[in-house]
Amino acid sequence: MEFLELGKIGLLIGFLLVLVGFWGILQQKNIIKIIVSFTILNTGINLIMVALGYLRGRTAPIIDDSVEQLANNNVINAVVDPVPQALVLTAIVIGFGVTALLLAFAMKLYTAKQTLEINHYNDLKW
Amino acid sequence: MVIDPIYIVAAALGVSFLIGILGSLGKTFTAVLSLITIAFMTFVSAGWLYAFQFGNQLEQVISTAGFNAPFSISLLMGQNEAFLTTIVNFVGLLGGIYLFNDFVKKGRNAFVVYIVFLMGLNVVIMSRDLFNIFVFIEITSIATAGLILLQDGHRAIGAGFKYMLATSVISSIFLIGIIFIYYYTGTLSIDELVANNNLLGIGGLTAIFLVMVATIIEMKPFPANGWGLDVYDGSHPGLSAVISAASTTASFYVLYKLMGIAGQEWYYYLSVLGALTFIGSNLLGIKQKNAQRLLGYSSIGQMGLLMLILGLRPFLNDKFLFIVASILISHYLAKAGLFWLAGIVKERDINNWSKLRKSPILMVLFGTFIFTLIGFPPFPSFFGKWELIMQLASAQQFNWMAIILIGSFIEGIYLFNWFSNALKHDNSKLSEIKIQWHKFAPPVIFGLLTYALGYFFSTYLEVASAINYIPLLFIVFIALIDFTPAWVKNTISIIGVSIYGLYVFPTLEGDLLRQIFLGIFLGGAVITLFSGYYNKGKRVGFYPMALAMFVGLTMLLTATNLFEILYGWELMTVGSYFLLIRGKKSLPHGYSYLMYSLGGTYLMMFGFALAFASNGYLDISALSNITVYPTLAYSLILLGFMTKTASFGVHTWLPGAHGEAVADIHFMASAILLKAGVFGIIIVLLNMDPNADYTTNIMYVLGWIGAISALVGNTQAVFQESAKKLLAWSSIGQLGYIVFGLAMMSHLGWMAGLFYTVTHFFYKGVLFLIIGGIALKLGTPLMYKMGGLIKKMPLSFIAVLIAIITLAGIPPLIGFGGKWLFYNAILEKGWYLQGALVMFSGVIAFMYLWRLIHTIFLGQLKDNHRNVTELSAWFLIPVYLLLAGIMVTSVKPEWLLEPLGNMIAQYFPDGQILWTDGVGYTEYGKWAGTNVAIIIGGAFMFVLGWLLIATRKAHKIGQFDITYAGERPERPETTHVAYNVFEGLYKAMWIITIPLIETLWTRINNMLRDIAGFTRRIYSGNGQAYMLHIVLFILVSYLVIIGG
Repeated sequence: MEFLELGKIGLLIGFLLVLVGFWGILQQKNIIKIIVSFTILNTGINLIMVALGYLRGRTAPIIDDSVEQLANNNVINAVVDPVPQALVLTAIVIGFGVTALLLAFAMKLYTAKQTLEINHYNDLKW
Repeated sequence: MVIDPIYIVAAALGVSFLIGILGSLGKTFTAVLSLITIAFMTFVSAGWLYAFQFGNQLEQVISTAGFNAPFSISLLMGQNEAFLTTIVNFVGLLGGIYLFNDFVKKGRNAFVVYIVFLMGLNVVIMSRDLFNIFVFIEITSIATAGLILLQDGHRAIGAGFKYMLATSVISSIFLIGIIFIYYYTGTLSIDELVANNNLLGIGGLTAIFLVMVATIIEMKPFPANGWGLDVYDGSHPGLSAVISAASTTASFYVLYKLMGIAGQEWYYYLSVLGALTFIGSNLLGIKQKNAQRLLGYSSIGQMGLLMLILGLRPFLNDKFLFIVASILISHYLAKAGLFWLAGIVKERDINNWSKLRKSPILMVLFGTFIFTLIGFPPFPSFFGKWELIMQLASAQQFNWMAIILIGSFIEGIYLFNWFSNALKHDNSKLSEIKIQWHKFAPPVIFGLLTYALGYFFSTYLEVASAINYIPLLFIVFIALIDFTPAWVKNTISIIGVSIYGLYVFPTLEGDLLRQIFLGIFLGGAVITLFSGYYNKGKRVGFYPMALAMFVGLTMLLTATNLFEILYGWELMTVGSYFLLIRGKKSLPHGYSYLMYSLGGTYLMMFGFALAFASNGYLDISALSNITVYPTLAYSLILLGFMTKTASFGVHTWLPGAHGEAVADIHFMASAILLKAGVFGIIIVLLNMDPNADYTTNIMYVLGWIGAISALVGNTQAVFQESAKKLLAWSSIGQLGYIVFGLAMMSHLGWMAGLFYTVTHFFYKGVLFLIIGGIALKLGTPLMYKMGGLIKKMPLSFIAVLIAIITLAGIPPLIGFGGKWLFYNAILEKGWYLQGALVMFSGVIAFMYLWRLIHTIFLGQLKDNHRNVTELSAWFLIPVYLLLAGIMVTSVKPEWLLEPLGNMIAQYFPDGQILWTDGVGYTEYGKWAGTNVAIIIGGAFMFVLGWLLIATRKAHKIGQFDITYAGERPERPETTHVAYNVFEGLYKAMWIITIPLIETLWTRINNMLRDIAGFTRRIYSGNGQAYMLHIVLFILVSYLVIIGG
């Protein structure tokens, strides 16, 4: 069952989500839906990150007694790569910030023109 | 002692939190605190820059929390980082001052966002860790999107939203790339990646690709950059200034850092994408009428240029940093300055920028920034572009050179159009400019910096070391006393020019050629400045520009290398442009003059670069040994110089520009300025190998160009109704003679050419001053509105009579010598067909010259001219000095011809004129100037005397003794005898007068505009379309770079 290994599944779903996200960003006309698509894209990327850092049979890189016992005090071999996980945390925070700002813009746009159709915001062109 | 750069981050974050926590500090206090923080950040980075520049500071790595990357944030403070953070923080500081009121209005959070924005940029520049760069790019993007909302209205909101969408997509791509780089290498530290790069498989290459392409899109490459344009367009101009100057600098540096891990082949991709952006963005800018959006196009174009330069780095050797720094800093200063001005002018339509004229200082700043962007001396970009082209040439990268110069030219099209409109467009209906000090100071500081840094960069360029700055300082001095009346500045200018002439003259010892031209340039300067005393007002802006032109001209003579020639050439171009544009309707003509000059400069630069590529040095003697594409090189340089001689094909600027110029400027522009082109052509021809095939071919073409210019110029002159346009076209014809003579590449041909160069100065000088003076006095240059002025202006009449006899080449006056030399030279050379054309043009010349006397001075005096008096002495004194020159050389032509012959004999020893007792002998005949003068003069005096005696009893007829019917005062031109006098001839010769060349240039221009107008529709304004552009850009790049 090599194919269904956890890391690979994560990677696959991650890429799928990225594609879905891109599709939504390019296809949806409603600004809120575009923003949701963006969050899907973001989630996909986060999933890819974690999946890449995953090592089979290891546990989360949170070092406490149980982990130390598990690995006979050889922690390095007991946990997955901690770096992607740290990166994901940061990426999630940033994604949160971006989404919040995008939503704030959506609000502002709606107050300006009473519509959420992206096609109606072509004031600046050429 | 330098301060740890971590304090930049610490101070920014600390103050931001402080402002956030202590909410009720008062808006002004918060504002000042924020500015102090930014000032502190600037101080820290400037301290580092100072330490690197003047001390032995070593670069320093700062790893936070004692870990190495990726477990900590690793920052590097090196020389590049110090420089870049300094300029980013500095523009941030000035930008903050500029936006002071807007920030205060929006409340304390605006400051926090602004400080975080700047901090983000600092870290992006210093960071050596990929993920960290990602984080801080995101922080900067979020902050930028927030700051876009400083501007109210849905334009800004729309722009901000599109920006946010685009950057989040871009950073997603970036992030995916980063993860995979980590996956394949186990590190995210740039230094480690550089040290052991093992991203060789398809996966690794894709990872690098994603990171690179995201960084490139961050720099807004064409065509995936609609969102970037919207930001420049929709934001507050104060913010656009900071984005354009600081954000782009930071993203460029990220690209620079990533090139270390990207692999060699990326240099090529980068050049292609950069070139595409540089050309594409500038091309689409042509149609743009909205100032802020235009600046957006220009910003993106400049980023394309920087990307291109980065891509060409392997060819630029150790000059790379110099080139990048000079182009970057020019863009930085100019673009920030222009956006700031946009915020002061508050006019979207570029035509309404004529409002700037209401505040001369702002106008000067505007000009400074525009010329900085295009790369004129003395601004840094000039030196950078020069070095760039030279380095590319020595690396044999001729295609890239062409692309860079073409792109720069296209940029010139819209920037100069904008500038010309600001200079000349009607501004009477526009409101006044309100000047607030905090908006005024930043552009002023940046304006001053362009000059200072221009000097600084020139010191790094070896070829620029011989530039004499004293005349330039003199120009600055004259500019500073511009408030004084014209006569004061005139006197000081005359003294200055005289001293300069006396200083330069001995340094040209033994070089008669240059001394002659010095006489024409600076002697002419004194004469024409003398006539400037007629001006009663202040003549604002005239003197600095006139002096710039004369200094530029003189630099052509004192130049020892090709760089100085170009420097002088550009200086002269700028000066003369500002003189020519002073005429009332000169807007389109001044613009086309500038465009011809710019194009000419780039052609010359290309040619010079080929000379450099052939020899490896830049002395003028490098021209004598061009081995790389010699035909192309010489043709380009000659064509460049011919834009000033207004030879056929590149002549269309002259009639309008000269026809609109006032009297003394007309003199400068025609009798003096055009000779710069002649001198340039001479310098090139002197260095060409006369026996080479390419020389023969080029000279053959040049000869025809000269002959056709003579024919077309003279023919057009015949059909002009304006006396000034008549003279302007006549100049084209006369310069055609000179070019034709030089092209013969023989002793006699050169004698003829140089002889015309000198005598044209004399007689055209007379004509311009008199005709120009009359036009000024009567308020019209139209000849059918004049007549009968002989009694009112007898001295002018005599001067014009003598001048046209000279010009027509009628003995005994000196003009005949030119004709005689031409006959001999043509016979010797065997160019019969061209020669016939030139001689025929001489006959045509007679037809228009006659009109100057007949229409202006003879015939009936007009009613409204009854009170006209003789021209002022300020015109007549220089005129009679010039006439004295004509008379002396007429009687003693050998005084001029003998030394001229000796000089030319150094280059063309065969076929000299032999002089014995004032008689010159050639293979085909002889010429005894003195005898001819005596005999014909005697005959003339005899006939005159006889006429006077015979008619002494004749009844003098008053003007109203005759009946003259048909002159209806309300429409004088249709019935006036002088109007359309050559109608019959026109029926025969109209075919020559079709403005073919003008039509051709207009067509090309329209075509460019149509392409631009069509292509820019891809920027539909739809945010989703922009996303699609980005995605397509990535896909296509991937297919080409990885798939291909």
